[in-house]
Amino acid sequence: MSASTTAATPWPRGADAVAAQGAGPDARRWLQLGLAAIWLLDGVLQYQSFMFTKAFGQMLAGTAAGNPAVIADPITWAAGIVEHHPVSTNASFATIQLLLGLGIAWRPAARTALAASVAWSVAVWWFGEGLGGVLSGGASPVNGAPGAVVLYALLAVLLWPAAADAVRAPFVAARPAGVPAARALWVVLWGSLAYFAVTAANRTAQGLHDMVAGMASGEPGWLSGVDRGAASVLAHHGLAASAALAVLLAVIAAGVLLPGPARRCAVVLAVIVSLLIWVVGQDLGEILAGGATDVNSGPLLILIALAYWPARAGTGSPVPVAAAGSRSDEGSVA
Amino acid sequence: MTVPAWLLDIFAAIMLAVAAVSALRLAAARPWQRGGPGADADIDLAHLLMGIAMAGMLTASLTTLPDGAWEAVFAVTTAWFAWRVARDVRGRGASALAGGHHAPHLVHSAAMLYMFGAVAAPMGTVAEPAMAGMGGAAGGMSTLRFPTIALVFALLLAGYAVWDLDQVASRIQRTGERRSTRSGLRLSDAGVPALAGPGNPVGGLAAATGTGMLPGGHAAAPGDSAAVPDDSGARPGQAGVAGIRDRVLAPDVATGCRIAMGVTMAFMLVLMI
Repeated sequence: MSASTTAATPWPRGADAVAAQGAGPDARRWLQLGLAAIWLLDGVLQYQSFMFTKAFGQMLAGTAAGNPAVIADPITWAAGIVEHHPVSTNASFATIQLLLGLGIAWRPAARTALAASVAWSVAVWWFGEGLGGVLSGGASPVNGAPGAVVLYALLAVLLWPAAADAVRAPFVAARPAGVPAARALWVVLWGSLAYFAVTAANRTAQGLHDMVAGMASGEPGWLSGVDRGAASVLAHHGLAASAALAVLLAVIAAGVLLPGPARRCAVVLAVIVSLLIWVVGQDLGEILAGGATDVNSGPLLILIALAYWPARAGTGSPVPVAAAGSRSDEGSVA
Repeated sequence: MTVPAWLLDIFAAIMLAVAAVSALRLAAARPWQRGGPGADADIDLAHLLMGIAMAGMLTASLTTLPDGAWEAVFAVTTAWFAWRVARDVRGRGASALAGGHHAPHLVHSAAMLYMFGAVAAPMGTVAEPAMAGMGGAAGGMSTLRFPTIALVFALLLAGYAVWDLDQVASRIQRTGERRSTRSGLRLSDAGVPALAGPGNPVGGLAAATGTGMLPGGHAAAPGDSAAVPDDSGARPGQAGVAGIRDRVLAPDVATGCRIAMGVTMAFMLVLMI
């Protein structure tokens, strides 16, 4: 704090206040804040007018189609409640998501909010997304498989505030449960995406073309132009494109098992593929067309990939060594 | 197809509260007095204007000025904060563009300017006054031209909101640590042990400010006679008034206003996409 400021006010103001904030968050905290921002945006999206109508409940009921009865019946039951009480239920949903975002951002509440976000994500994955079409055969990495909302739960687990001695893990995602478990989760996630890319519905000649072309409606000109361009490239090449995507995703899945530099390449590839899928395949979550309830899987896959970015050599962790000595899991999530 | 009016009213009430707090901060800071703690008066003034404008956008009955007037107001605030950010960049480098003190205010002002400048006719209504209550008395909903910009602003506002919240929590945590460090026994001028805590007007006030400083810039160091109100001739109760003033002027209060406005602004932008 400068002398002049000290003389004027008891509070650090202006640039002094910024300087007084000290060191910024570590890599895990940055990723947690990214997750918090996405939850916050989801909460805001859930407040859109469409969600307060009966049509929202009917949309939820539609996710039951193709699922086994044991999964579908509870979806239909829950959708009926939403359809009959659209205002109160949706206002609750939106507020819960808003609070999850704010809770993760508020350090003392971050642990509770992350735990709550896991429970909420799993519930929405079932009752709101019909398990992301995983069991109905409609899942595709391009349209958000295995269900965007379950990725929130996965991120909450990977970014869980672990004990202080875990900060020496080779990447952020390994801190809560260790390297083998984190690598297994990566392989399962990206491996399943590779599998979904070549399921029967996705390897037809026009499958990908129809999916991308069908999203152009209602989007701004530049985005519908991107859709039309991508659709024309994919026309009648669905099988080849799906196979290429599956190979790419399989390479990413295996990349986490490789040594440092190759793992970095796999993470970079994962970020690029996720970004492409989000823009071309998911139209930025279709937010600009109205009616989107979340940002879809693209940004979450990017955050997951960044959680596997290898730490700097020598430190074994992106966290300064000094911080490792403090009990960062007590009252703080940094 | 509208958002429930009560929901818009809640957000409007929050914005009015932000405007009221900002007005209180302006009054407490007395920026018109030379040497007063009015360094961030521009921020409080911007918050005051944004709070009033957004309340009017959310609820038609709270509309104060025509859209054109608000557009001019936020063009001025945007230009002002752009200049402030440029100064920050000259002083601190390019990092001030993202994390500087004035960058969030530039984003907020620009978002307001965009909302007033890019609003199109409400859907399903004829000649509905733009932005005069987003729900629209006739059930219409204002929409924005160039919706991609609205999404970019919403993302930025959400990002700044969670960042601000994280920083406030971090500051409170550090303040608590400092307070517990200072809460040990200390000696007063008379050599009588005194606890620097809420029961002690000096230590308690210093602890409440979180900076170890007392109103007027005196450090609340052990044995600092200048820090004792009785020694400076202050009347009983003045310390309490000063304490309230300091609490109103606390940076976290302004940050709280910014978080509330950021979330509300993101809400409005998404609704008008």
